[in-house]
Amino acid sequence: MEILRVENLNKHFYTPADFWVLKDLCFSIDKGKLTSITGKSGSGKSTLLYLLSTMDTDFEGSIRINGEEIKGRSNKWLSGFRNTHIGFIFQFHYLLPDFTVLQNVMLPALKQGKYTKEQIEHNAMELLTLLNVKSQSAKRASLLSGGQQQRVAIARALINEPAIIIGDEPTGNLDTSNTHVVLDLFRELTTEKGYTILTVTHDDDFARQSDSVIHLIDGEISK
Amino acid sequence: MKILKNIRLVSFVAFSQMRVRLKQTIIATVGVVFGVTVFIFLLAYVKGLNGYVQEITLEQTPHLRLYNEPEIATQSILDKVSPGTLNYTHHVKPKSVLPNIKDGLQVIQEIRQDNRVTAVSGSVKTQVFYEVGLSLFNGQITGINYTDENALLNLGTKIQEGSFTELNTMPNSLAMASGLAKKINVHSGDKITVTTPKGDYLTMTVAGIFKTGIPEIDIEQCYAGLSTVQKILAVPPSYITNIKIKLYDKDIAFALSEEYKRKYHCSTSDWMKDNALAFENEAMQNMVVYCVAVCLLLVAGFGIYNILNMMIYEKMKEIAILKAMGFSDDDVRGIILIQSFTIGIIGSLLGLLFGFLISYAISLIPYESELFSAINHLPISFNKAFYILGLSFGILTAFFSGYIPARKAARIDPVYIIRG
Ligand SMILES: Nc1ncnc2c1ncn2[C@@H]1O[C@H](COP(=O)(O)OP(=O)(O)OP(=O)(O)O)[C@@H](O)[C@H]1O
Ligand SMILES: [Mg+2]
Repeated sequence: MEILRVENLNKHFYTPADFWVLKDLCFSIDKGKLTSITGKSGSGKSTLLYLLSTMDTDFEGSIRINGEEIKGRSNKWLSGFRNTHIGFIFQFHYLLPDFTVLQNVMLPALKQGKYTKEQIEHNAMELLTLLNVKSQSAKRASLLSGGQQQRVAIARALINEPAIIIGDEPTGNLDTSNTHVVLDLFRELTTEKGYTILTVTHDDDFARQSDSVIHLIDGEISK
Repeated sequence: MKILKNIRLVSFVAFSQMRVRLKQTIIATVGVVFGVTVFIFLLAYVKGLNGYVQEITLEQTPHLRLYNEPEIATQSILDKVSPGTLNYTHHVKPKSVLPNIKDGLQVIQEIRQDNRVTAVSGSVKTQVFYEVGLSLFNGQITGINYTDENALLNLGTKIQEGSFTELNTMPNSLAMASGLAKKINVHSGDKITVTTPKGDYLTMTVAGIFKTGIPEIDIEQCYAGLSTVQKILAVPPSYITNIKIKLYDKDIAFALSEEYKRKYHCSTSDWMKDNALAFENEAMQNMVVYCVAVCLLLVAGFGIYNILNMMIYEKMKEIAILKAMGFSDDDVRGIILIQSFTIGIIGSLLGLLFGFLISYAISLIPYESELFSAINHLPISFNKAFYILGLSFGILTAFFSGYIPARKAARIDPVYIIRG
């Protein structure tokens, strides 16, 4: 089943000068696949991810996620869509420091409002167990180590069982062993639990182990 | 249900952020507390005092006065004699009229029957000199029927020494205002020599000393029986120069004054005309007080604006994450507005409380005043309207000062922030 379809995607930055970042991209991603985006620094990887995550709406072409066209939607619709269908893992963990680990994981689900608070708490605890950070659940997020924070961030991305999980160098500032933990986890989530993951990586090992690789050169997909 | 859940979530996020920044939140709240406290206190104090002064002034002002005043003719006698020609007349003098109201006693009787009138009292005034040792003091004696005048101006409660009742029964007795009594050093029971306008001497007995609380009255007013003054002026008992009237509804005073003017052919004045300056003065004072109060709240509002702005600046990244997680622009706006509303409501309520406590404390402090004899504490107003106004102003200030930061937060572009 097709989760993501990108057609003739073009992106320009107009300030300070017209700069054509992404050039006529076309690709699709199927459910349950782990896809890597690679490319040199400045090739437009992050830019592509922000478009796919619906946070940046300024583009030409078409992006369909879960069958829904993103182009031309209102901000309000997009935030609801993002909440339910997209999990985002940032490069620098980006947990909310004022909240506990558990609250961080629960927030997207509370926002969605589909389940009761008890159910959400239960689900969140299960995810924290899966990611091996259950013992940290009551701590303030800012007190965790980098690797722990990244795992909590992954748990948060998973809580609403999104159609697609998008990561921008999720292992970018983790050491090798932690990178392997995350890589194994991503493999497990895609093959066993059927999640779809699309992530930017600089790690060749990581790219090699994914189902497919989108390699960007100066905003174009290299064949 | 979903909306309710969302409100709960948004409030939860808002309060969590405030808890982390408790110190700044408290500082912003204190700003509002201070503003509202001073607002309440200022109004309570100024309006209390104003209200009191106005009350005693109005108590001493009849709603309606009838008197006779020489009028300058609008048409000279020449114009009447030879109309149609060009006549020049300069400096026309009024014709001689007696200052008494025609058929005064009759008029009083008639007005007494009017069912819009609560009390009516006729009086006669005369200028006199009080002879104290070798010095002469200027003064004015108003001849009254004590029972009537008391019904009108509540004189009985103003007595300090002696009593008023002798005025009706004892000829040549006098009730003197306290300021005057002090100036010429007399007490109740003392005798005093009075020079009448006709140059006669008269010995009068001070029956009582009173104080109205209005300086202009307390420095020169004296009351005597109607017949006593009529005797001083050598006029008949029907001679009345002033008729004072109290009404059930003081708002009809003007209309009624016009009616009586036509009916009894005399000059009239009403309480509004008599106190125009005082009312004008009060309006000005109100304006100043409200300006000061609003300025205070502006400062408090700036405090809220500042803290929220700072908060947004520091929490930019977190707001971006919230948006990435699916919080809408409205949710983010809501978070900031809830924060400013919380500060506003808590600050205002505490401000009301402190304002009340301070007002209450001040109202308990004993206060002796030369001018305001009838009170021994400062007259503080506890009008509910001030509290409602204070609360609304406080919350409104909070809302407006939160609005700009909230809009700013709602407009944060998550991509821009997360990219760094
Ligand atoms: N807001 C912007 N305005 C103008 N140019 C921008 C803006 N954001 C990014 N760019 C440019 O777009 C290009 C692509 O940037 P992008 O961040 O997508 O690169 P990247 O592939 O993620 O690089 P890296 O591997 O270093 O993260 C860069 O040349 C960058 O300078
Ligand atoms: Mg990048």
